[in-house]
Amino acid sequence: MNWVIVAWTGATSASLMLAAIHLFVWIRNRKAWASLMFCLMAACTAGMAGCELAMMRVTDVNQLGAILQWYNLSRWAVTLALIGFMHFYLGAGRPWLELTVIGLRTLALLLNLFVSPNAYYSSIDGLNRIIFFGQAVTVVEGIPNPLMLVGQVSMLVLAAYLVDTTWRAYTAGAYNRALRVGSSSVFFVLALSLQTMLVLWGVVEAPIMASLFFLGIVGVMAFELSEDMLRSTRLAENLQQREVDLRRERKLTDAVFQGAPGLLFLQSQDGVIRRWNKRPANPSEVIETKIHDFFRKEDHPALSESLEKTFSEGSANFELDLLHSDGSASRHFFSTVQIEIGEKPHLIGIGIDVSAEHALGLELALQKEKLARVSQIASMSELSSSLAHEINQPLAIILSNAEAAQRQLELPVPNHNELRDILKDIVAADIRAADVIRRLRSILQRGQPVLKPVAPSSLLNNVLRLLKTDLDNSGALVSKKIPKRLPNFLADRIPVEQVLINLIKNALEAMHGNGTRGKSLILSCAAEGSGVRFSVRDNGCGLPESGDWIFEAFHTTKPTGLGLGLKISQTIIQAHGGRLWAEVNKGRGASFHFHLPLRPETT
Amino acid sequence: MNESQSVILIDDETDLLKALRRLLKAEGFQVACHTSAAEFLAAARPPSPGCIVLDESMPGMTGLDLQRELVAEGSTLAIVFLTARGDIPMSVRAMKAGAVDFLTKPVKDKDLISSIRMGLKKSADLELNKNEVDLLRGRFETLTDREREVLKFVTQGLPNKQIAASLGLVEQTIKVHRSRVMTKMRAESLAQLVVVAERLGITSQES
Repeated sequence: MNWVIVAWTGATSASLMLAAIHLFVWIRNRKAWASLMFCLMAACTAGMAGCELAMMRVTDVNQLGAILQWYNLSRWAVTLALIGFMHFYLGAGRPWLELTVIGLRTLALLLNLFVSPNAYYSSIDGLNRIIFFGQAVTVVEGIPNPLMLVGQVSMLVLAAYLVDTTWRAYTAGAYNRALRVGSSSVFFVLALSLQTMLVLWGVVEAPIMASLFFLGIVGVMAFELSEDMLRSTRLAENLQQREVDLRRERKLTDAVFQGAPGLLFLQSQDGVIRRWNKRPANPSEVIETKIHDFFRKEDHPALSESLEKTFSEGSANFELDLLHSDGSASRHFFSTVQIEIGEKPHLIGIGIDVSAEHALGLELALQKEKLARVSQIASMSELSSSLAHEINQPLAIILSNAEAAQRQLELPVPNHNELRDILKDIVAADIRAADVIRRLRSILQRGQPVLKPVAPSSLLNNVLRLLKTDLDNSGALVSKKIPKRLPNFLADRIPVEQVLINLIKNALEAMHGNGTRGKSLILSCAAEGSGVRFSVRDNGCGLPESGDWIFEAFHTTKPTGLGLGLKISQTIIQAHGGRLWAEVNKGRGASFHFHLPLRPETT
Repeated sequence: MNESQSVILIDDETDLLKALRRLLKAEGFQVACHTSAAEFLAAARPPSPGCIVLDESMPGMTGLDLQRELVAEGSTLAIVFLTARGDIPMSVRAMKAGAVDFLTKPVKDKDLISSIRMGLKKSADLELNKNEVDLLRGRFETLTDREREVLKFVTQGLPNKQIAASLGLVEQTIKVHRSRVMTKMRAESLAQLVVVAERLGITSQES
């Protein structure tokens, strides 16, 4: 068994095998330039090993020269491939260093071609057979050529390049790669240079065995590349797991999206919907679905405004009709928030069906409006019926008085005193009727109230004059409390008088069942705040319960009447910017107050 | 001016009371005025026959309330309603309870006076009827218990024999009782006795 043949052929075949594997890798993945470089390097290393083995067995000097040419070509290619590998694999080399190494190596190759006999030796003395690892091998005997230094320098520059590249890769963060590939290649290159020099200067007797050193580098590289492959396999596995996780996550979010009530959507800032849980009613012509497709054209400006607000302020709430794919629409309440996805602003929005609440709200408003209309009509009818009654009284008085006068005149001797009294009463009743008509007209003339300065005392006295009959009949003890100095206030006189009349009439009715206790009605007026307060206090049956409900339309405690008197009074006072309220007296009965500002705010 | 011309005005509107009193006085009626139902009830009852001209809507006791009270009392005063705010249900109630008329203000003197005259006539009739019934009741009071029993059976049209059997007496005794009843009640025939019994409301008592 020849150990030398075993070693060198082994190196050759191993290199070729590795080259073949990585050639295949490169064919499958054209971007794996490191693999191609490795393939080249391994192939050339195999070539070198072959040449070396041939040189060891050469017997003819001329034959040796030819082999050396091939050998040099291989070494040139190996160096190039090594640089290429480092360049692509570590990606950290300085280009000018790379070019220097390639240049020097090329120079060495050319020198070898044109210098005779070659660049290693200036003259070859002969071929010696030496014993190497127990085997006889051929070595060259001759004078070393100084030009050989070019090759040696190129090796040193290569070493320097490798050190530099390794360092740069190391500092760039590729610790393991730099340490393993870089340092091992530096080591083998330096070792090779040393061995070559020792052999050439005849210090050591050994055949040329550079291929073994390069094989070392190739081995480390192969290890590194396979390590990479393992790592990418692991990565692929991880990726697969991640994908499964992602798919599960996606299914979950899909379920969330599909299961969400109403509309749930995710859109980017340009309005394109990325995900949604509903089919839009009118899909746009382009492939992209826009959020606007879910809404009516006339709602688009409002929608755009809300979406812009979401992007500028972070969130927005709005209510719009959502169109369904069957063409129907229902009211939805939308809440949108801005979120960042991949550093780009997106918007996630949810719309909840509020059509039932919306309809309810509409119906309530409608009912309220209806009620208001009914109460307005009812108050008009109550008003006109009460006024008809009021106008009937003086008319009845006038008619009966006139008829009585006619009868007097038919008497043989008419009673002139009686006739005078009758005519006086007719005039009084007529004035009363005219007053009622004036009131009716002022109430019917809706619109802006005619505001005129009113003196509180004159208002109160006028009301007392109008109610004289009622007050006299009731037998109530009426007391007035009016301070001497009271400011005038701006008001529409007749409606305010009507309020006071209503309150006094109510008080008289409340005191009707007082019996032996006697009836006491206290009317007072006082300056209060920036206004005037009128009060009507009685000692009647009081209020059934305290509370504002007595002011509600159609509420009444009287067997006759629609229950609108207080409601109308309140409306009149409020129209003057004032307030009407009631309270239960500590003793007996109730007090009604209203407060009017000196100048109502005209709005 | 005789007593049958008595008119009572009840209205819370004093000026109208004044006007109506003038009118009715000029027509020759005797007029009394009240401003409320309570005031009228508190005063001494006016003599009957008389006619009340009553306002429906008054504070406190209404006209209908007063009418109800007077009917329950068995008053023979007639009532003419005079109101400013009359509606159909109100007038139906008033007329059912025996009102003579239901007038609305302002009222023509002729309408009012003719209604009052009708009322006075009705009141007088009621009064007369009431007096006759009182007379008959006085005669009925003079009957003994047995005679009253016999009267009841006789007016039911039963023959003497059957009455005797019912009361456990002989027919002859019944004949005696019967002739006494006729005498005491001053009835000249059986038919007259039946009419009297009817006015006193005796026949209806079947027990």
